[in-house]
Amino acid sequence: MMNTQLTQHTHQMLKTNGVEKVNDKTKKKDWTEVEKLAFRIAFIFFIIMSIPWNWKWYTDLFAIHWTGLHYRDLYDIARFQPSFPVLSQWFPDLYGYADWIVVLFLAIAGAAIWSVVDGKVKNYNKLYYWLLVVARYRAGIGIIGFAFTKVLPVQMPYPSEGLLNTDFGDLTQQKIYWLSIGIVPWYQVFTGVVELLAGTMLFFRKTTFYGAALLVGALGSITFVNFAYEGGVHIYASYFVLYGLFIMSYYIPRIYRLMISEQYTVPINYYPTFNKTWQHALRFGLKTAVLIVFLGVLFYVQLLNFLYDPYKQPSSPGVTKLRGYYDVRAFYLNNVLIPDNPYDSLRWQDLTFEKWTTMTFKVNKAQRLDLSNGGGNPIRDIDRTFEIAGVGGGRRVFHYYADTVDKVLYLQDKNIAAAAFKRGGQRNDEGYPNRPENKQESLTDNYPEDWINERAWRHIGDENKMIDPKGTTARRSRAFATLPKEVIRRKMVLHYEVSNDGAFVTLKGLNENRDSIRVELIRRDRKYILTKSTLDAGQYGKIQ
Amino acid sequence: MENSAINGQTSWTKHGMILFRFFFVYLMLQAIPVDVKFYEHLRQINWWNIGFSDIFNISRYTRQIVNSPVTPDFWGINTFLDWGIMALIAIISAVFWSFIDKRQEYASLYYWLRVVLRYRLAIGIIAYGFIKVFPMQSPYPSLSELNTNYGDLSAWKIFSLTLGIAPSFETFLGLVEITAGLLLLYRKTVFLASFIILCFTGNVFLSNLAYEGGEVVYSLYLLQFALFLLWYDAPRLFRLLSLEKPTLPNTFKVTYPNNWQPKLRLILKGIFIIVFILYGVKTYGVYRKGGYQFPLKKGAMREGFYQVLRFSYNGTNLPFNKHDSLRWQNVVIEKWTTISIKIGRQLEPLTSNVEVIHENDVEKGYEFSGTAGRQYFRYEFDKSKQHLVLKAVDGDKGESFLLNVKQANNDTIFLNGINKNSDSLQIVLQKVDKKYLLEEAKKGGRRSGLVL
Repeated sequence: MMNTQLTQHTHQMLKTNGVEKVNDKTKKKDWTEVEKLAFRIAFIFFIIMSIPWNWKWYTDLFAIHWTGLHYRDLYDIARFQPSFPVLSQWFPDLYGYADWIVVLFLAIAGAAIWSVVDGKVKNYNKLYYWLLVVARYRAGIGIIGFAFTKVLPVQMPYPSEGLLNTDFGDLTQQKIYWLSIGIVPWYQVFTGVVELLAGTMLFFRKTTFYGAALLVGALGSITFVNFAYEGGVHIYASYFVLYGLFIMSYYIPRIYRLMISEQYTVPINYYPTFNKTWQHALRFGLKTAVLIVFLGVLFYVQLLNFLYDPYKQPSSPGVTKLRGYYDVRAFYLNNVLIPDNPYDSLRWQDLTFEKWTTMTFKVNKAQRLDLSNGGGNPIRDIDRTFEIAGVGGGRRVFHYYADTVDKVLYLQDKNIAAAAFKRGGQRNDEGYPNRPENKQESLTDNYPEDWINERAWRHIGDENKMIDPKGTTARRSRAFATLPKEVIRRKMVLHYEVSNDGAFVTLKGLNENRDSIRVELIRRDRKYILTKSTLDAGQYGKIQ
Repeated sequence: MENSAINGQTSWTKHGMILFRFFFVYLMLQAIPVDVKFYEHLRQINWWNIGFSDIFNISRYTRQIVNSPVTPDFWGINTFLDWGIMALIAIISAVFWSFIDKRQEYASLYYWLRVVLRYRLAIGIIAYGFIKVFPMQSPYPSLSELNTNYGDLSAWKIFSLTLGIAPSFETFLGLVEITAGLLLLYRKTVFLASFIILCFTGNVFLSNLAYEGGEVVYSLYLLQFALFLLWYDAPRLFRLLSLEKPTLPNTFKVTYPNNWQPKLRLILKGIFIIVFILYGVKTYGVYRKGGYQFPLKKGAMREGFYQVLRFSYNGTNLPFNKHDSLRWQNVVIEKWTTISIKIGRQLEPLTSNVEVIHENDVEKGYEFSGTAGRQYFRYEFDKSKQHLVLKAVDGDKGESFLLNVKQANNDTIFLNGINKNSDSLQIVLQKVDKKYLLEEAKKGGRRSGLVL
């Protein structure tokens, strides 16, 4: 009833003089020179921002195995931002925003030429529409790529046992923020849903404004978080704020008119009319493809990732009967007992076996720390460093391959900052994003190349196959087909023995200096007051 | 009711009228403090020397029909049971009202209801805004908290500590709240304010649920007002932005038949602004003095992290053992009169997850709530006699120590005395110059190659 009344009312008003005025104000046929210039700049700016300029983006796109899809394949397609190091090196860094300034200069230069060529045009209504389409889809696809890693909470994992036993002050700011979301997985789901909602609403004209408003609110907050906690992704977060503001700015005049000026408001939109069938088919086809790929397929592959191969944490199950928290009852180094003292620089304390293939312990000795955010998309468990990145307090974190037949663990330090690089070896950032640029001298490994012999490898098996076959992806298999990065890590070879009831564990073997150690462990039922996670990623089997 | 939302001139439907009567009674009951219990609290305020905590408590008024736990510092928050009772009263009132009242519309009453809710919401949101703008609600972690295992902290405590390490972010959040609160004071920006509050306080509400906070009901209390306020403009905005149809603005204008009424309006608004400024100034004053979560009195002992070199109990030296419930493992002496000790016993954590501003140092429990890794004591140190008295404030509250202090050198302290059972103790503490990654990492940045 209300609607019909109002429509009638509107029709009446359209006939009156008032409406002419309305038309004059909102339905401007001619744009002013300033408006035209501003639009030209904005147009070039947002088009450059919306195009992937890195050649690798295209090679990655065409290298995708659509039959063995990994979530990261689509995530990488959705995630790009302009980077012109050749030009931006001439500008001050400006917290990393130099690339934006470069794009702005290009846009101004382009707009200047455009103004000369195209001075007589009356308005850019049509082009404005298409620019908004580009911005909406760029922002929508980009944010959805991010959203699903939270909707299926893998971006911020629940703290591992080793992290739970690290003091609050021994973590970096970035780590503390990420963990604070990791401890509440359902809240993480909510933040993902907000981003997903924002992105999805941007795909439809009638919900675009709400999507843009939500995007500005959510990503504005994330931008601030990244500045405040040194999260490191403030530029990409603010990229979306910029898009959101640009899209919102289309609607703000009419909202202002209706709500602040309190005047009758006629929304006028320039929507292209499609006359030909192929135009309809193309529009429908493209839109459907985006929705299917970025809402349907991406959700599915992200679900597989969440269930079988959560990318931030190692995905191979650890030795079941070892898992847990231990006190170091006795510690022998070269057969000499070292008494319990938390300030001893040799003795181990506070040992954990995670549910995946990681052992951690504490030693009161300074080491070079990995201050990265433990992100990226490493495939091998040893490179998945969330449990060590940004963690101090003397915590040592070792990845292990377990030979469960001969009961031997082959351990390697996961701390990439403490690793050395082979002479002439590859030192680029590709394999290890955010790796500290340590000036460490090249070393020779004190373990032989075949420190894990063939028999042991037979018992250990193929790491690629350690996860549920449903988690198999082309990307994963491809990574395991190539050799691991040539770095020299601290290594240990430890034989383990577990008492029948699992209460005692003895580790015996050679440490990183090839000194003999013997570590007697006693299992403790460590009670945390922090609430346990109710939504766990990965498959690690049952804990005994 | 919806009709009037579009246009005050269109007539109200019958069910819209009934619905309005219900919401009017219900929301007025929620928002207006005509309440004996509340005046009991107000009576105890020293109005000539009103503190920021008094204003804070006034701002958090909620009608408590059923008795809820209340202390002089905490005036209580109502529960869903109270909400149910108010809704019941509102239903009954709406029925009676519908029989008696023969009016055709409530445009004017709707306006005044909105005025009441706008100010109620503004007060609530601004009160919390200022304790964030001046980052006090979540202060920077204490030395004891820096030396507590992550797993020995409750989710709510972690939430607060996490905010505490980024004061600039906390200030930003406070500014959002204050901005939203101020936008409520201007009729034409109420839609924007209530939208911001729905997003912001909606997030607070979910955080309370996720992190086991204690203000689930209160955040929902504010949210219901914001939702009701946005309801007025929502159809208009939906029509403009989603239906993309010509839309009429709000046409209702309040009229003041008497001359004195606009003046009264100005005076009331002026008072509100003055109280707003007063509260801001008072909050800043408290912030300058060191906030309200930790005790303010400076401790007489030297602040720091101490390792326990020797711990002798009734003449027997106890070696280091993580699970010994008697032997101290390390000691933190805070800047204020708190000492926390790590022992092998797991303590039952106290939970206080509602914002309460305590005036007296003794009652300030933020530091030891939601944490189980250390036992907390308040200390008194008589410098002339070198007497140290420790009294437990959490865990086994009867725990106490009477100790003689001998400063061997700058960093080493000998303690000699008894516990509450008169067992004799000799303890040697050694100050450790501990470096915290949290602080060191800030100095160098990501690629500094920090060794720690």
